Amino acid sequence: MNVLAFAGRRLAGAAALLVLLSAAVFAATAVLPGDAVSAVAGVDASTGQRARVRAELGLDRPAAERYASWAAGALRGDLGRGFVGERPVTEVLATRLPNSLLLAGLTLAVTAPLALLLGLWTGLRAGGTADRLVSTGAQVLAAVPEFVVAALLTAVLAVWLGVLPRVSVVPLGGTPLDAPHALVLPVLTLGPVGLAVATRLLRVCVADAAAAPYCEAARLSGVRGVRLAVRHLLPNAAGPAVQALTLTTGALVGSSVVVENVFDYPGIGRELQLAVAARDVPMVQGIATALVAVMLAVLLLGDLCARLLGRREANGR
Amino acid sequence: MSRHFDRRALLRRGAAGALALAAGPGLLAACSTDEPANGRGAAGSSPRSGGTLRAAFVGGGASETLDFFNGPSALDLVRARAWHGTLGNLDPTAPDGVRYGVLKGIDISDDLSAYTLHVRPGVRFTDGSELTAADILHSLGALAAKSTLPVYRLAAANFDLAHARAEGDLKVVLPTLRPIADGRLILCQGNFLVVKDGTKKFRTGMPSCGPFRLTEFTPGQGAAFTRYDDHYGHVPHLDGLELRSIADSTARAGALTGGEVDFAHDLSPVTARTLADNGKVELVPTKSPYLIGLSFQMNMGVKPFDDPRVREAFKLAVDREAMVKTVFHGNAEIGNDLPSMGFPDYADGIPRRAHDPGRARRLLKEAGADGMKVRLTTGPETPGMVEMATLYVEDLKKAGVQASLRELPAGQLYADFATYAALPLAGSYQMPIPALSTYQMSTAGGSPSAFGWKESATDALVAKARAESDPAEAKRLGTRAQRTRWEKGNQVLPVFKPNLNAQAKGVAGIRDDLFEQFPGFSRASLA
Repeated sequence: MNVLAFAGRRLAGAAALLVLLSAAVFAATAVLPGDAVSAVAGVDASTGQRARVRAELGLDRPAAERYASWAAGALRGDLGRGFVGERPVTEVLATRLPNSLLLAGLTLAVTAPLALLLGLWTGLRAGGTADRLVSTGAQVLAAVPEFVVAALLTAVLAVWLGVLPRVSVVPLGGTPLDAPHALVLPVLTLGPVGLAVATRLLRVCVADAAAAPYCEAARLSGVRGVRLAVRHLLPNAAGPAVQALTLTTGALVGSSVVVENVFDYPGIGRELQLAVAARDVPMVQGIATALVAVMLAVLLLGDLCARLLGRREANGR
Repeated sequence: MSRHFDRRALLRRGAAGALALAAGPGLLAACSTDEPANGRGAAGSSPRSGGTLRAAFVGGGASETLDFFNGPSALDLVRARAWHGTLGNLDPTAPDGVRYGVLKGIDISDDLSAYTLHVRPGVRFTDGSELTAADILHSLGALAAKSTLPVYRLAAANFDLAHARAEGDLKVVLPTLRPIADGRLILCQGNFLVVKDGTKKFRTGMPSCGPFRLTEFTPGQGAAFTRYDDHYGHVPHLDGLELRSIADSTARAGALTGGEVDFAHDLSPVTARTLADNGKVELVPTKSPYLIGLSFQMNMGVKPFDDPRVREAFKLAVDREAMVKTVFHGNAEIGNDLPSMGFPDYADGIPRRAHDPGRARRLLKEAGADGMKVRLTTGPETPGMVEMATLYVEDLKKAGVQASLRELPAGQLYADFATYAALPLAGSYQMPIPALSTYQMSTAGGSPSAFGWKESATDALVAKARAESDPAEAKRLGTRAQRTRWEKGNQVLPVFKPNLNAQAKGVAGIRDDLFEQFPGFSRASLA
């Protein structure tokens, strides 16, 4: 019951945040110089033509009014149509968002176990040489821009060794799963970012847990190694660790915009970038809101998991 | 990374394509017949049949549409030309200067007030129905007339599409809005495509009559085609065609060298250079007149650009050769401050303007503008633009101007057109369109993109040249109008650069499609 109340409260909070953030995105598009008229009417359209297109797109109405009508539609599940190409925003989301989630999911699946191991290893040796080495390495890795990682990997794996395609060319009408080799470079590029962030966060959780009195007690009573990690450390670090991983997801979403563009991966990040350049407000608004919703859902899920794990931990003690 | 929209802007700006007014020989290597032949193979050998050619372009995103009348990207038009029949293509070697497609010919009334389009009998859509005048009327009147793309606006600006009518099944009469002699070249520039009467929605299975049938379309990713065996003209050598959308120049080149595509469109000068030593691919840059003009526009509504001496000084200050060498590694042509170089109506008799910073300095002093401050605004809308602007600022400093550069992020330069048109000095570009059409589209009547140029006498001269049926007289009038632009105009146009395309060795026949501004594949073959 307690957990349900907690979930309800957090859900309400997330919903409120979603509304706030969607309004912020709308405001941001409103203050960008220029509008979609150039993309729709053509840059050399006459003043009259531009005015007509602006009216057709509804851009002559006040921003608050436009946001209200967009929000009303969004509540009914109608995110409107893009100005450029007039395709329904939900349709674009339906075709592109799964590709991005697949990319992020695969990256997490690869990095999470590795980060867990590295986090445990360094956390238990906090302050030692190994810890300092790995931590510094992770910090460097987190600081290297994705496009540099992408360029290095491409140079080695695609150009020099020639074992992977340089571009994620997905078969027409197919999904990235139809060309699994096309996923390798994007995942390898995204991986280090996620790995670095997650390792550093997990290390702190483990180090904290290892310094806690019950862990000390276990150690004093002779529990060591894997047994100590599995029986005592992990259950107690699990809650914070889940939250650490949810935060990693946030970093991945940001990086995937870059990675999708570098490898021409057909994800939602590439669409967002295109939509911003064209000032395609409904598209920007829809995609950004969907991404925010995904992020909030992940964070919410992470909080819930952490809470459940925390309860078990509290009950078990 | 937003090269998509650079391309969109590029196409929007002048997709009017290539309408040569009275093309000279050798501009386009092409045969003037359109019987079902083998096309022209390399060095006389007949091209191999079969295979699927894969080509990469900058396309749009998931909001790409099959409706080419409203589709703004280069890929939209290439895809549509593979799929739908054309009214005709430019062909300087043909009697009318055009090679007709679904038309048999176009007659012009003596007073230049009406054009009669004769439909080629026996052209069939993929659903078996025959193409008639009604289909042409629907495509031109209902669909093209409503389009916002400049290419279709150019037709609507010259023909009274609302009063076009069919006479029987095989004849369409198009009244002109004012007398024009060059209307064939507007209609048969390769952009005007036909769909069935009543078409409103464009979808994968719709009937078409182009060289290929569309079998698959994934917005933002690409389209796949198979050969249409009953095509009216010639049946393509290729079994299939795949057009892919790959936004980034390096990625397109990578797909080509990696063997994932056979043709890559529009690479950046730096990317193209990296391919020069690759034994498996060859660079096939577009040739004159299909070159993009890179220019600087001076705003005559802003002091001191209202003074012709200042404008001349700004033209004398630019070091054209240095730009061609440094920015384009020599792979570009020197411009003479006039757009449309290489087109038959381009005024090529005018001497090339010298690089004379000393005289520029004197002219500025004379005009009381020495030491003037000016900010040049541009963006990476097309490769090389920013680099050129950087050099120009240095050139201007040598002429005593306190010049500075403002580089906008990608996609910004034209995003707010009113702001752009009010800039004192802007770096921009021109698509390959004949001189007089360029003038009509973007300079005449004080259009916003004219940057304050408002000369009704020159407007009238251009209109008169276009209404002249004697080619020699038309050329004389057109050259006079361009001379005025060259002397008093507000455009510095130092460089023409090609679209740097590249293809796998052995690919042939892409240029034979006759629409070089964007490549076509109806006559292409693989090695």
